[in-house]
Amino acid sequence: MTSTINKTKRLILKLTVLSLLSIHFGCEDEITPNLDDAPSVMVVDAWLTNQEGPQTIRLTMSQPYFNNSQLVGVQNAVVSVIDNENNEFTFAEQENGEYVWQPFNGEALGEIGNAFTLRVEHDGETYEASSVMNRVPPIDSVTFTFEEAEFGFPDRYSASFWARDPEGLGDTYWIKTYKNGEFLSKPSELVIAFDAGFRGGNTDGLIFIPPIREAINPLDEDGDGGFLAPYANNDSVYVELHSITEEAYQFLTEVQIQTNRPGGFAELFSQPLSNVPSNIRNMTTGSNKKVVGFFNVAAVSGNGTRLDTSQISRN
Amino acid sequence: MLKQIYKDWLFGKVAIWKGIRLFLISTLILFLTPTLKTFAQDKYTVSGYIKDQSNGESLIGVTVFVKEIANGTVSNNYGYYSITLSPGTYHLEYRYLGYHILEKEINLSGNQKVDIELISEQQELEEIVIQADPEDANVTSIEMSVNKLDIKTIQKLPPFFGEADIIKSIQLLPGVSTVGEGASGFNVRGGSTSQNLILLDEAPVYNSSHLLGFFSVFNPDAVKDVKLIKGGIPANYGGRIASILDVRMKEGNSKAFAAQGGIGSVFSRLTLEGPIAKDKASFIFAARRSYADVFAKVFTDALDDGAALNFYDLTFKTNYNINKNNRIYLSAYLGRDNFKFDENQGFNWGNQTTTLRWNHLFNDRLFSNFTFLFSNYDYVLAFGENEMDRFDWNSNVTTFDFKPEFSYFLNSDNEISFGGEALLYNFEPANAVGVSNGERRDVSVDRKLALESALYLANDQQIGSNITLQYGLRLSNFRYLGAPTDYYEFDNPEPGIRRNVTQVFQADEWETIQSYSNLEPRFSLKYQLSSNSSIKASYNRTTQYIHLVSNTTASNPLDIWTPSTNNIKPQLGDQWVLGFFKNFGPNNDFETSIEAYYRKTQNQIDYIDGADLLINELIEGDLLAGDGRAYGLELFIKKNKGRFNGWLSYTLGKTELQVEGINGGNWYPTRYDQTHNLKLVGFYELNDRWTFSANFTLKSGTPTTFPTSRFQIQDYVIPYNYSGSRNNTRIPAFHRLDISATLQGKKMRKGKVRKNEDYWVFGIYNLYSRKNPFSIYFSQDDDSLVGGEPIRTQATQLSIIGSFIPSVSYNFKF
Repeated sequence: MTSTINKTKRLILKLTVLSLLSIHFGCEDEITPNLDDAPSVMVVDAWLTNQEGPQTIRLTMSQPYFNNSQLVGVQNAVVSVIDNENNEFTFAEQENGEYVWQPFNGEALGEIGNAFTLRVEHDGETYEASSVMNRVPPIDSVTFTFEEAEFGFPDRYSASFWARDPEGLGDTYWIKTYKNGEFLSKPSELVIAFDAGFRGGNTDGLIFIPPIREAINPLDEDGDGGFLAPYANNDSVYVELHSITEEAYQFLTEVQIQTNRPGGFAELFSQPLSNVPSNIRNMTTGSNKKVVGFFNVAAVSGNGTRLDTSQISRN
Repeated sequence: MLKQIYKDWLFGKVAIWKGIRLFLISTLILFLTPTLKTFAQDKYTVSGYIKDQSNGESLIGVTVFVKEIANGTVSNNYGYYSITLSPGTYHLEYRYLGYHILEKEINLSGNQKVDIELISEQQELEEIVIQADPEDANVTSIEMSVNKLDIKTIQKLPPFFGEADIIKSIQLLPGVSTVGEGASGFNVRGGSTSQNLILLDEAPVYNSSHLLGFFSVFNPDAVKDVKLIKGGIPANYGGRIASILDVRMKEGNSKAFAAQGGIGSVFSRLTLEGPIAKDKASFIFAARRSYADVFAKVFTDALDDGAALNFYDLTFKTNYNINKNNRIYLSAYLGRDNFKFDENQGFNWGNQTTTLRWNHLFNDRLFSNFTFLFSNYDYVLAFGENEMDRFDWNSNVTTFDFKPEFSYFLNSDNEISFGGEALLYNFEPANAVGVSNGERRDVSVDRKLALESALYLANDQQIGSNITLQYGLRLSNFRYLGAPTDYYEFDNPEPGIRRNVTQVFQADEWETIQSYSNLEPRFSLKYQLSSNSSIKASYNRTTQYIHLVSNTTASNPLDIWTPSTNNIKPQLGDQWVLGFFKNFGPNNDFETSIEAYYRKTQNQIDYIDGADLLINELIEGDLLAGDGRAYGLELFIKKNKGRFNGWLSYTLGKTELQVEGINGGNWYPTRYDQTHNLKLVGFYELNDRWTFSANFTLKSGTPTTFPTSRFQIQDYVIPYNYSGSRNNTRIPAFHRLDISATLQGKKMRKGKVRKNEDYWVFGIYNLYSRKNPFSIYFSQDDDSLVGGEPIRTQATQLSIIGSFIPSVSYNFKF
């Protein structure tokens, strides 16, 4: 629900601003307040898929908030994933804290329904996390429709993906979009779904509802308070559905809350800053060393298209 | 199951009468023994209504002082007063701020009706009016932690966008704060905005804001009297734990037809009032509408295609004086905010209230009022450009309330009040239907029913000439009822994470799922130290059975109210206050007070991180409960007299919460905790035509949470606080100066007195263009997203209002 609400709010806020035209509202300044010092903690970034090719887990250290330098990788860790059929996948250390599993002969990382345990050993401590690879429906198609200019949007071609959530309550997804091969990685472009909609929304078994179906359009501002058209002629769009655990859905919900800060009036309705939940636990007895991060193993389906404006009717 | 309700009623009725009897007997025995012997003697009552001479509006809170016994009473909410005295000759003084004092000599040899009309100081004096000691109610009244704002003061304050605003005026009082400009509501003594009971002619108003939080929903032209009760809450009020904001509407001019209105930068207003039958019946009708959309249309085509943006409110009230013992009042309010993106899509919300009241005098000493009211808040959202893909959602809370209230003016030393209340709530958190590619789904959340009832008894008692007591008891009961409704039991995982359903039950219509009862003692004491100083103390317990579920910085129109359930316990508040009141100067020129309060609250609602609060059948699993505490010191100095007048208010305060699962289970300051809060308000009357006013506010920045660190998961930079603390720092302090000038139109034209009155108000809000921070937020810089490069992070300070805002309004009256 959060994202529809946020969109609604943003529209309302835009209208509000329109209504108070002559006045300078919502004035923002970048500042650098003093923040408390804190020790670094290990960060486990382990989002694996059943897709072909190598799988990467990244171990880094947290940084002071305003430290904009390269991430510091964790070295000399032993990283492995074991599934419930006792298959062990070993992740070999590369540079910058990357640990990679190389498949042989088109081998994939487990199969749908498998449970996985991640184990990281480093500096005498053992960390563990678990996940399940859930089912994922196919994406039937990705289409474009023409929409006329409104509310600061120009005339544009918007993309939709068409897929049906399988019956059974509580399938959860991360929808990742690539425009011309480039992942849409802004926090505002993070899209998750609970069944075909939002948590609590009773959308089990439906075709993904419009706020999700159409959430694969980048929303970039043109610098004058308006928006750019999401796709131009000949742009490609590729959409991936990643099955995630309900725990991962909650994690990404909170990542959205903490990272997607449109600013302005929307801040009236922001939620307090708080730590996102991790599913990595320090298993070492007697140790209280902190660790953050998330482990999920996803099954992935995908589909894409290229915008050919000559093929799309303009009415 | 209607029977159940009926039984409750019956129970209520019986209990009221039993209670009255019991109370009268015990009061007589315990407190009145010394006066019993005089009771046998004949005593007579002087009573009546007190009105404004110019328009017939009844006056609330007029002091009626009997010189011979150095004691008196105060007119009630309907302008009625009653004093019972031994036969004899008395001099009664009627005093009311802003009015000339009136003295009457009365030879009491039988019950006597004395209706009074007071003359405003602004009017020409036609009658002989006795000048006597001015107001000293500040010191002599039993009331503490109470602030009254008369509408004339509110209209003189510097306006916001040219609009006099009741909630913004309230924020200039001690003990009252807000989380920032644009936020709706107000915070009293460390309470949340939803802990204030906002009453418009006794009807609860669930959302007090237009346009998110910029304007309040009350049209000042239709408001007579505003009273904020922060402590020593009398037993006839209940249902919220922080404060009562009692807004009373005008009754309408019963002497002559009048119209007033104005044109400002945001609203245009028109009010019509007049007698229906002279001195017998009158009406008032007031309307306001924003016209920003009219302007906006000039500048943008965004509002074509059926798009709309406006807000308005309508207020209506009429009264009929049936005879000297019966009077009825009917008032109604309708307010709406309307945003439409196009013909099919939009969002609107608003309050509606209707209040029917019947004043009945059983005799000169027993005054009663019966109130029936209806109050509703609802919002409607619609999305989707066609029938294949739509989302329609509405939500509402509806209340029906019946409130019988009695005042028994026992003698000049005791005024007993008793009564009850029964509120029936209907909560519909979401009636929602989604259509995805032609497939329709109902995603509604079960409605919830609840019945809140209360009985109270209280006495205002004078002991000797120095001590006044007000003591009472309120017994409240709340039943969470089936509608029919599914209700749930949840597990208890580690605090701070979502609780899962362990069992589902079904309740039939009207079946009691959970019942709560609470005894709420109320006590106030005044000890008069000297003619111009007193000490006051009070204690009260209050219970709040309904809760506003909102985890955002400022509450917003989508927030829903929810009843106490088998999983949500009622909020309890206990407050102790001690105060010293003193007036200075030969004519009580300065009123001063200093009050210290301590407030302890239980079952305060907080939320798990990432809570789903909207359209969530299992919302209870996302709520947390904890304790609160708040304490502070309030200083108030007010100058009433002279050309230069105004007030200074300073509050030193702290308010904290302790909730398992937040901040490691340790106490943390709330979002509205403000250590220092200083307000200065000044008016200067230069001459008959020009009045200037200014107000200055300085307050500590509100608490917020800063991260210590950042870490990266996939491509997202996530803020992280190593110790997991909440509200570990503060945003910079807030200060702002507003000024205004009022220019009265000429009184004479061509040598004749003009029939019409008019005035201009020129104002500048935020005179020195201070960019007051509303919040500081942390985010990644989206422009720095270049594959493989480090992502830049930044902190942004947001000011809702970043410059000065000039305004002008023209107001007229004829």
